[in-house]
Formats: sequence, C-alpha cells, structure tokens
Amino acid sequence: MRIRRLAAAAATVAAGALILSGCAAPQSEIVEGSSLAVAWNQPFYSYNGLTSFGNATANNNITYATLSSFNYYDNTPALVKDTSFGTYEKISDDPLVVKYTIADGVKWSDGTAVDASDLLLQWAALSRALDTPDFDAAEYTDPDTGEFTSDFPTDVVYFDSGADPTTGMGLVSTLPEVSDDKKSITLTYDAPFVDWELVFSAPLPAHVVAKNALGIDDNQKAKDAIFDAIENDDKTALASISSFWNSGFNFTEMPSNPDLVLSSGPYVITDFVADQYVTLTANKQYTGANQAKVEEITVRFITDPLAAVQALQNGEVQVISPQATVDVADALAALDVTVIGGYEGTYEHIDLQFDQSKSGNFNNPLIREAFMKVIPRQEIVDKLIKPLQPDAEIRNSQVFLPGAEGYDDSVANNGSAAYADVDIEGAKALLAEAGVTNPEVCMLFSSTNPRRANEFLLIQQSGALAGFNVTDCSSPDWGGLLGTPGAYDASLFGWQSTSLGVTNGPPPTFTTGGINNLNFYSNPEMDKLTAALSVEFDPAKQIEIQKEIDKLLWSDFYGVTIFQFPSVTAFDPNAIKGIAPSTLAPTIFWNIWDWEPVTAATE
Amino acid sequence: MATFIVRRLIASIFIFLAATYLMYILTALSGDPLEDLRTSTAPNKQQLIEARTALLHLDVPPYLRYFIWIAGVGKCFIGQCDLGVTVQNQPVTVLLAQAAGSTLQLVTIASVIAIILGLVVGITTALRQYSGYDYGVTFLSFLFFSLPIFWVAVLLKQFVAIGFNDFLSDPQIAPWIIPILAVISGLIWMSILPGKGRRKLITFAAAALASAAVIIYMDLSDWFSYPHIGIVGVALTLVGAAFGVTTISTGLKNRRALYASLVVAGIGVAAWYPFIYFTTGLPFWGWIGIGVATVLVALGVGWFMGGDDRRPVARTAAIVGFIAFSVLSLDRFMQVWDDYANSGRIKGRPIATIGSGTPGLEGSLWVHGVDLFTHLLLPTLALILISFATYTRYSRASLLEVMNQDYIRTARAKGLTERTVVVRHAFRNALIPIATIVAFDIGGIIGGAVITERVFGWTGMGALFQNGLDHVDPNPVMAFFLVTGSLAILFNLIADLVYAGLDPRIRVS
Repeated sequence: MRIRRLAAAAATVAAGALILSGCAAPQSEIVEGSSLAVAWNQPFYSYNGLTSFGNATANNNITYATLSSFNYYDNTPALVKDTSFGTYEKISDDPLVVKYTIADGVKWSDGTAVDASDLLLQWAALSRALDTPDFDAAEYTDPDTGEFTSDFPTDVVYFDSGADPTTGMGLVSTLPEVSDDKKSITLTYDAPFVDWELVFSAPLPAHVVAKNALGIDDNQKAKDAIFDAIENDDKTALASISSFWNSGFNFTEMPSNPDLVLSSGPYVITDFVADQYVTLTANKQYTGANQAKVEEITVRFITDPLAAVQALQNGEVQVISPQATVDVADALAALDVTVIGGYEGTYEHIDLQFDQSKSGNFNNPLIREAFMKVIPRQEIVDKLIKPLQPDAEIRNSQVFLPGAEGYDDSVANNGSAAYADVDIEGAKALLAEAGVTNPEVCMLFSSTNPRRANEFLLIQQSGALAGFNVTDCSSPDWGGLLGTPGAYDASLFGWQSTSLGVTNGPPPTFTTGGINNLNFYSNPEMDKLTAALSVEFDPAKQIEIQKEIDKLLWSDFYGVTIFQFPSVTAFDPNAIKGIAPSTLAPTIFWNIWDWEPVTAATE
Repeated sequence: MATFIVRRLIASIFIFLAATYLMYILTALSGDPLEDLRTSTAPNKQQLIEARTALLHLDVPPYLRYFIWIAGVGKCFIGQCDLGVTVQNQPVTVLLAQAAGSTLQLVTIASVIAIILGLVVGITTALRQYSGYDYGVTFLSFLFFSLPIFWVAVLLKQFVAIGFNDFLSDPQIAPWIIPILAVISGLIWMSILPGKGRRKLITFAAAALASAAVIIYMDLSDWFSYPHIGIVGVALTLVGAAFGVTTISTGLKNRRALYASLVVAGIGVAAWYPFIYFTTGLPFWGWIGIGVATVLVALGVGWFMGGDDRRPVARTAAIVGFIAFSVLSLDRFMQVWDDYANSGRIKGRPIATIGSGTPGLEGSLWVHGVDLFTHLLLPTLALILISFATYTRYSRASLLEVMNQDYIRTARAKGLTERTVVVRHAFRNALIPIATIVAFDIGGIIGGAVITERVFGWTGMGALFQNGLDHVDPNPVMAFFLVTGSLAILFNLIADLVYAGLDPRIRVS
C-alpha cells in the first residue's frame, strides 16, 4: 500500500516536473523504414530451387522474385512470356530446335551482364548431358550427413537436378550452339518434346558458380571459364562447378558472401535471419518489365495457421496464405480483412482398379459405373470443403485444371454430368444387370488424414444404400501400396499439378504401363491419344486431344474426380493492394511486383 | 559421491539408448516419408524418389537404420558430431545449434521470472495463510495450472497483444472502468496487508484511491503513449526500495544499513539526468558495465558506512544499487517507446504476436531492448503462467511445513524478531525441496516449450521436432530427443546432488 501511495504522489509531482522541464526529449534513436510483410509456412533454405532437394515452394517463392525467367504462369492460369528478360523461338519441329536470347541490358544485381554463360550452365545442370555416365553418387555419399565423402572422385561431374534423359531438358544431349555475341543459345532436342516452353527455368549466376568453384576473381574470366569448361567438356572443372551448383547455394541464414544471393529479378535478398524471415529489397539493377512497386517486402515464416491469422490481425503481416482449415475460415470471417478463396494445384480423386484388384469386381465395367453413381461427390464437397471455402465446386475433369483453358468446354461434353448426383436406383439396376449382390469395394487411402477418413465414411454410407459393401483398406503407408496388385479395389488420394504441361498429365497417368498409371487401366484408343498428345506442338490441338482423353476416361468409368484442394489468402485491404493468388506455384507470389502499400490515403 | 555419479550415469546411458531406439522406430514407422513425391506428377518423379531414398537410407529398414544414426551420434565423442540430414538435405547439427539458441533465449527469461515470482508469491501466501490473498492466489494458480497452454497463448495474443494495441491507438481508459479497477486494487491490497476491521477498511480505501489517482494521472498525461517514470518517480521508488530492502534484509533497526541504502538511492537519483540524456550510443557491454559499476559502488558505500558489521550493510546497499540501476534503465527504455511504437516498421502496434524481433529494425541499444521486450512478453507470460502455479504451490507448502517445525518455535522462544525467524531460519530450509523442483523443471521446460514456440512463430527446438514428425523424418526428431532426453537425465542427477548439498542429513552413496 505504501508503495502504491508513494507512486501516486510521485507520479503527480513527476508530471509537474516534466511539464516544467518542457519534456526535453532526446533525439530520435531509430532508423526509419517500412516494409510489407507476408507470411509463409516454411522457412527458406536454398537459393537453388532446381536441385532435387531445393525444389520446394518455400524456396521457389523467394527465387521467383529474385531470378527472372523467360516465362511464368499468371493467375488464369496461363503462360506469360517475359520478353524484357529474354525471348525464345522454336526454329524447327523435327528435330526440335529452340533458340533462347537474353534481352539487351539485362544485368545481375552486381552489374554483370546476364548472358549465354548463365544459360549454358543451366543447360548443363538441367540436362545432365555432361554428367559422368553410370556414376552413382550414393556410393560416395556419407551415409550420415548426406554430403559427399572426401574420396569423391574429383573428375566426376554430377548435377543433382534429378533430370531424366527421356523428358524435358534431358532430351537435349548435344552441346547447344552459342551465338557470337554471347547473348543466345540454341538447343537441339533428340526427340520431339511438346512442353519445350517449360523446360528452361530461371538461370543462376554462372560467374558466381565459377568464381567459387574454380577460385577465379574476375567476373568476365569466370564467365569465360564456364564456356571453356562446358564447350571443351573439361571434366575436372565441371566436377567443381557441378559440386558447387549442388550445394553452394544452400544456406539457412544470410550468407557472408553477397554473391550467393545475386538477383536478376525485381527483388534481391538483403536480409535472412534463420527461421525468422527473408527481406527482399527492390533490385536497383533490374531493368525489366516487372518493376517492384514497394521498396521492401519481408517474408516471415509462420508455421501455425492460426498464428498467421492473428499476426495479420495485429498488423505484423499484411498477407497470409495459411493452410485452409475450418478454424482458419472461422477466424478470418470475424476480421476486417479481404479473404480470397481459391484452389491449390492438388485435386482429390478416386481411381478404380481395372485389373489386379482385391475383389476383382471392377474388371466388370457395369460395377465400375454403378460405383461411380453412388459416390456422393456433392455431399463430400458440401460437408468437407464448403466450410473452408463457401464457393467450392466439384471438379469435373480428369485432365483440365479448373479455370484453365478448355476446362469448361470439356466438362460440358465429357459425360461427367451423369455422376453429378448420387443415383442409387441406377446403381442398383446396374448391379442387377451385372448379376452381383453386395460387391465388396476395399478403399485405399491415408489413415492419417482425417478428411479422407470422413470422405470414406460418406462413400461407405452412400454405397451401402445401393448394396455396395465398401470396406476400409486404409494404411499410413498408403503411398507405398499404390499400384500393388491385389491390395485394394479403389484408391482415394490427390494428384499435384505443378504446371499446365501436357507431358506430366495424361501420358504417364493414362497410358498402358505409364509411371503414374496405378490402376492397370489399358485402352488402345487411349494409348493412341496420349501418344498423339506427346508429339502435338499446337496448343489448340493439344486441348482438343485432351478433351477427347477426358471424355474417353469418363465413358470407360475410370473413376471420379472430387474437388480441387481449397486455398485461402487473406490480406489487409487498408495496407496492401495488388494481391491476386494463382492456383499454380508460386500461388500468391506470382505477381509480387504488383504489390503496393496503401497508406497515403489514411495518413 | 563419485561412485554414485558414475553409477547413475552408466544406468542413464543404457536407459537413454533404449529410449532413443524406441523413439526412432516410432517416428520412422509413423508414416511414409515419400508420400509427397508419390502423388507428384513431376516427370522426374522416379529420380526424385531415388535421390531421397539414397539420402535418408530409406532402403534400410528402420530397425537397422537406427544404427546408422547412432554411429553418427557416437562420433560426437571424437568431436565430429553427425546427426544426419533432414529430408531437405540440411545437416541437423547446424539446425540444432540454431534451434537450441532461440529456445534457450525464450526459456531462460521465462524460467527466471517464473521462479522469482513463484517464490515470492508462494512465501507471502504461506505467511498470510487462509487470508483472502491466499485463497485468491490458490484459486488463480489452480486455474492457470489447469489451462492448456495453446489456449492461454491464443487468448494472450488476442487480448494482451491485439486488444492492447487497439487500445493504444486511442489510449484513454473509460471513466466507468476506473472505479472497477480501483475497487479490485483495494481488495487485493486489503487481503495482503495484515490488520482487522477498521484497519482493513482504511487499507482498502487508501489503495483504491491511490490506484484511481494513478490511473487518472496516466489518462491525463497520455502516459500510455509517452510512458516514463521521471526523476520524481525514480526518487520515490528508490527511497521506498531503500526502506523495503532494509526491512527484509537487516531490519529497520539496523540504522547503518538504512542510511547506506538511502545514500545509494540518492546516488541513483543524482545519476538520473546523465543516464537518461547521455546514453544514446551506449553499446550493450557499456550498459552491463554501468550495471556492474553501480552494484560495486553501492557495495563500497555499504562497506564504508557499515561500521562493525559490514557484510549485511554492504549486501543491503548492493541490492538497492541493483534496483536503482534497474529503475533507471527501465525509465531509459521508456524514453524510446514513443519513437519505437510509431516507427514505420511498427505502425503503432508495438506488442508482437510472432517471432523474436521486428524484421529490419535498426536503432540504439534501447530501441532493440524495447523490441525484444515486445516480442518476448507474450511467450514469456504464457510459459510463466503455467510454471508459476507449481512454484507457488510448492514454495507455499514447503514454507508452511518448515514454519511448523520445532526449531522455529525454539527460535521464536529465544525472542528473535519475526523477520529473523522467517528470513533466516524458515526461508532457507524451505528452499531445499524447491531447489530440486527447479532443477528438474529447467530440464523439462526446454522440451515443454514446443507448443508455445509454434503458437508464437518462434522457430526453435519445437519446430525441429514438429517438422521432423510432419515429414516422417527421424533425424531432426532424434536431435530434439537427444537434447531434451539428456537434459532430463542431467537435471535429475543435479537435483539429487543439490538436495544432498543443501540438506546435510542426506548422503548420496
């Protein structure tokens, strides 16, 4: 009590004293600055998003803003060319020859020109054409650290880009031709590859690789060293180059060597605190079309979705894109923020085993059709997805991404409308026609995923009405069981799409024996269509073929697609504008250069 | 003693090995580490699966893969610790060092505050057993004890951060709230201070009026926008501290101690002006240096004024010196509050809900101190609320037990003052069981901060553990387990040794 009373008296006198002294405040002790902040759920860990382990959204979101590329996906999604960085043209179809040219005046953030040396290194890394043949890196990998051991042969070239010689850049096995002005390179493919536009991702600074790998100080000499090493296939130099390319760009906090974060895009990394945030500052050397509108953007790492919501409410971040859950949807609804519901690249679907199934029932198309009729797709979306995203819809195409060109046309004609509503009577009639009673359907799905368990229960209830005995084949190791003969009858899981490219869509999934064909589907007509798709360069014709594929799949009773994974983006409309999330990676970041602060009006 | 330690350590190592084996197997079998790649439509899917399999030895069954991991751990004994790599090809050893650093920063402050607060409150409740204050604290500590931390944390963020920041945009306490706060404050003080009947009423009225006056002053002077203590506040606080510390430390009868404390308080007031206005560019070590110097000067004052009995006087003066330094520093930190809160990076919302610092903030030592405070406040509060309950209950029970011992009655019978009985005879012995609990708790709190860290976006050991589990990646999980497990073992051992050291009746052998 005494202290409290004393404090009260003290405070009164102190007020008088302060007024008398005129509050002689010391000068400002803080360096002014401001930035927009965005939350992402995983820390950044590698500046090279092209290695097999660096390829993660957490990295690609950042490098997207700092490394320019010849093209990118907008939020339609459609492919947009960035001609201010460079141009590319297809010179011939057979053999496929593509010429890439860097635009004039494009520079790295240290002032060095972006030129063919960067492109050539990118080719060497992504094609692995210069890699030492039959070399197994695992033999020289330390089992504990995953790093290469000291007896790793010094003349072995190994680019860890996970390239496959049968697809993409892997098909360009011959040395590209470099123009005399060192501004363009010409790639010649061994075989036609229709997604040729997607193979050349944003290049890394070749001179930095050479400086660090070969101990060169001068930027121009470093560039020359890259040309020399690649054009003369100098295994010793390439070995160092590849080794640095694999691991030199991995860091978990701001590297002491600023060369490692050189930028060719609108932003450059200026600060990186381990596990906390990455600060992107507008790149002064950037001359391209996508000029930054805000001086500084901070990407803060917030794992917990609700923590991100509260950080948005507290003004610590202005944009969030947390995992969509009911809790997040409820919390956001109560706030004065703009919420944009969208889609992720992953879609949920049910595949029926055409052969080698557990019960063998689905070898009969009548039973497949009957089962497709009882899957309560609308109910699943209503009960499990709409609480997260009120305007969620069923996905009705096995091939097209909702919103992408061709989706609406295809859905109208592909026959999916027959399965829009549950048709118990129709299913009963089909089962009677097939002459089976109570067929068993054992469903494989992830037992650790509650949403899939709920979907299973809804399907089970609906199936029981028509006489299906839907049983639980779920397993925590469901991924390893996919495609195992005799293990299950139907599988419930999601496919992730990372691009609109046709070569990673239908051909591997629906062709007989394709790598993603896990349900033993085989139809000679389909094989013809996928083969035709794999060599069709005309985008309009690609869409026509894909529509035929979509239609054939539904009429073959392949299975059903259910929904596209919902995504949610929320931002503070009083602080930031220009947010327009995209379905494909890098989702909200695709137009980071359009983000703008909204402050002038209020202050 | 040595044989005891060696025996305990050897037994612990075997238990620990078995525990790590179990943990490794459980983590490895908790899912499919290749799941994300299996559902990928990337054209080079097969290559990616092979690369990850080779990196993490997924071709070796977990029962045997454990031995690859433990061999790497074994290399710690030859100075080449090797805890494997994560699924993202990052060496776990590096990640562990970063994570342990940030967790320690969070946990240390929380533990220290919780221990001090818990002890003080526990002891005062024991001394005022069955008073309204005692019942109040008992109620609150059981309430906090039963609250789930993730919920407390979210509530704290909602009200203490978001709510308080909203309040700061127009920091006026509504007139109808003032009487409510005044009555609450009056009730609290009434139950703490001794007395009966009329005396209680006077206490209540005085405390309520004083609180109301303080709040009204804060409202009128816009204190929440421009917080300060000021020279008068500092002077009154320090004089109060001089009396208070002397009362507890030596008793007011020791006039030398009282005068020495008052002299130190005077020095503190005299140092106010230079300390507030000439410390803009002070480096961190300079600040610590001033603190050490203050305590040394205070010690010196006590020593010279101590006369025959120098030690207690010097001790009392030193404590007052430390308080003077703290109060001055607090006032100094408050000086930059306005600049900090209204800077472009804070935008008038100073209390943070995530992270350990404002990105890109640049400024003086004081600005960074305030920044650290605004970020540490909530997670520390959340951690304190939970462990506070245990400490108050244990220290209360322990002191009550000691106060009923025969030797306390003997001490009272000898005619010792109540202060001497409580501080010298009861308090020290009451600390013995607390010491073991504290030692054990520190071991546990590092592992126990997993949820707090996640909710406050504080990436430390908790994130290491959780990301590992999410990706079915045993290596980071095991790194977490290595640290928490060995700390648990170590602090258990320390607790036993401390017990033996404090209580001469106990022998370890």
